[in-house]
Amino acid sequence: MSGMSSDIAIHAEDLTKFYGSRRGVEGLTLDVKAGEVLGFLGPNGAGKTTTIRLLLDFLRPTRGDATILGLDPRRDKAALHRQIGYLPGELAFPGREKAADLLRFFAAARGGVAWSQVTALADRLELDLTRPIRTMSKGNKQKVGLVQAFMHQPALLILDEPTSGLDPLMQQEFLAMVADARADGQTVFMSSHVLAEVQQAADRVAIIRDGRLAALERVESLGRRAIRTVEIHFDDPVDAAEFTGLPGVSDVMVSGPILRCTVDGRLSPLIKAVARHEVIDLLSAEPDLEETFLSYYYTQPDQHTQIEGAR
Amino acid sequence: MVPALVVKTWRDDRRAIIGWSVGIAAFTTLYTGFYSQFQGTAELKEDALPPDMLEFLGIADMTSAIGYLQATIYSLIGPLLVIMAAITLTTRTIARPEEDGGMELLLANPLTRRAFATQRLTAAATAITTITAVPWLLVAILAPTVDMNVPQGNIAATNAGLILLVWCFAGIAFLIGAWTGRRTPVLVVTGTLAVATYLANAISGLLDGGDWLKWLSPFHYFIGTDPLRTGWHPAHLAVLAAIAVVTAVAGIRVFDRRDIGV
Repeated sequence: MSGMSSDIAIHAEDLTKFYGSRRGVEGLTLDVKAGEVLGFLGPNGAGKTTTIRLLLDFLRPTRGDATILGLDPRRDKAALHRQIGYLPGELAFPGREKAADLLRFFAAARGGVAWSQVTALADRLELDLTRPIRTMSKGNKQKVGLVQAFMHQPALLILDEPTSGLDPLMQQEFLAMVADARADGQTVFMSSHVLAEVQQAADRVAIIRDGRLAALERVESLGRRAIRTVEIHFDDPVDAAEFTGLPGVSDVMVSGPILRCTVDGRLSPLIKAVARHEVIDLLSAEPDLEETFLSYYYTQPDQHTQIEGAR
Repeated sequence: MVPALVVKTWRDDRRAIIGWSVGIAAFTTLYTGFYSQFQGTAELKEDALPPDMLEFLGIADMTSAIGYLQATIYSLIGPLLVIMAAITLTTRTIARPEEDGGMELLLANPLTRRAFATQRLTAAATAITTITAVPWLLVAILAPTVDMNVPQGNIAATNAGLILLVWCFAGIAFLIGAWTGRRTPVLVVTGTLAVATYLANAISGLLDGGDWLKWLSPFHYFIGTDPLRTGWHPAHLAVLAAIAVVTAVAGIRVFDRRDIGV
């Protein structure tokens, strides 16, 4: 695998960063294809921000390296950063000026960006550019951060926790912006600790845990693997034996007329078995994909080989 | 065309630049303007203080125009003010944004690390030079109006020395900020160095066999040649310029090599 080809936007090879003896990220090998949206998922402190800051050359790897848009993050920083839109996870704005003035600075520093581009994004996010940024709410500051990341239509968007602070309506608008960026051929690398938002926007999801890549999968295959907890209330007590052993059904627990179990994949085998009885109520918890996905990999260590295969 | 980052740096620093300029202008105007009223009392002061104390304070004679200017503007408070201004502004180039997180968005601009550091320093250096040129302008204008008989060339030489002295400490502050990315070491180390080297210069003449101490002090290269009386001393000024350049270049290099915002 060369990684240098133009259809690879980010190529990380054994990317490792230790802060003294503390591990930031270790042995990260990952390819992000040009034009794809990759969700970079993991609990807080897993190494998402460290990875992003390595890609931007704010940190220097202890071991390994990365190639971004075919360029070297350090040697080609100037050329590279012109093609990158970056949203920091911890947003802090330099200076005390109005949003418009700060964005004018970014426009000039990036070699000139059409102002209509900025106002279009601000309108879309319902952001008032005439206000000083320090007087803004967290959500509005986040919008300023998003505008500056998207304004120069970069080939690669690197977004660290992009939806933090946004209300649900704006989160949807943001996801639409990501979809538009993808339609325009831009590559998006976005981190999150919530799978739901990543699942909606991303083509693939990389899961990082304790500084290591735990999994890399297409979003569709994630959905199929969804494990849901199901609770069924019957008219009469039922026998657990009827439901144990059904395909995909596990953790069967029966207490009187109530059945609780977890279902991996399709629900039909369970539904067919259940239909033989009088059903009063059926509760199916929204699948917590992040947990189930992680548990899938952590309970089956041999499945790690799939990560290699998925690349 | 001035790079966007330089303009941005000036704009973010404009309150500080204006504030320090106004303060230093007021200080210079006040002391220079009071020359005529001060003369009589100066004589008293001079008699009241022991000669060693006068030498320590950098006051040769308070009654002559040159002695008065030296004592008031160029020996203690003047340099102290401009050095404080320089340290404050230099801290803002790297250490402060790195601590408060603003560095993240600044550094994401399409510039190499070296270009970034160079532009931040350039913006701060021009601001510092402007602030330090304020006393020059005011002394040059006010001195003749209060009958101070000091050659303009000597005022220029002295103030050029002051500017280079300030560059020297700004360079040191920049190096420490570029290296550590923290405000406290910049303030502590540069402040301590300024005080220590000031003292080294001041006491070098008072200690038996301590004369060599002055060669370690930037203040000696600035004022030790008595430029208000003797004019330009290029070699001495070059020492200050060299310290400024070496520390600036070293700062840019260490900034290019380290992790940012850890």
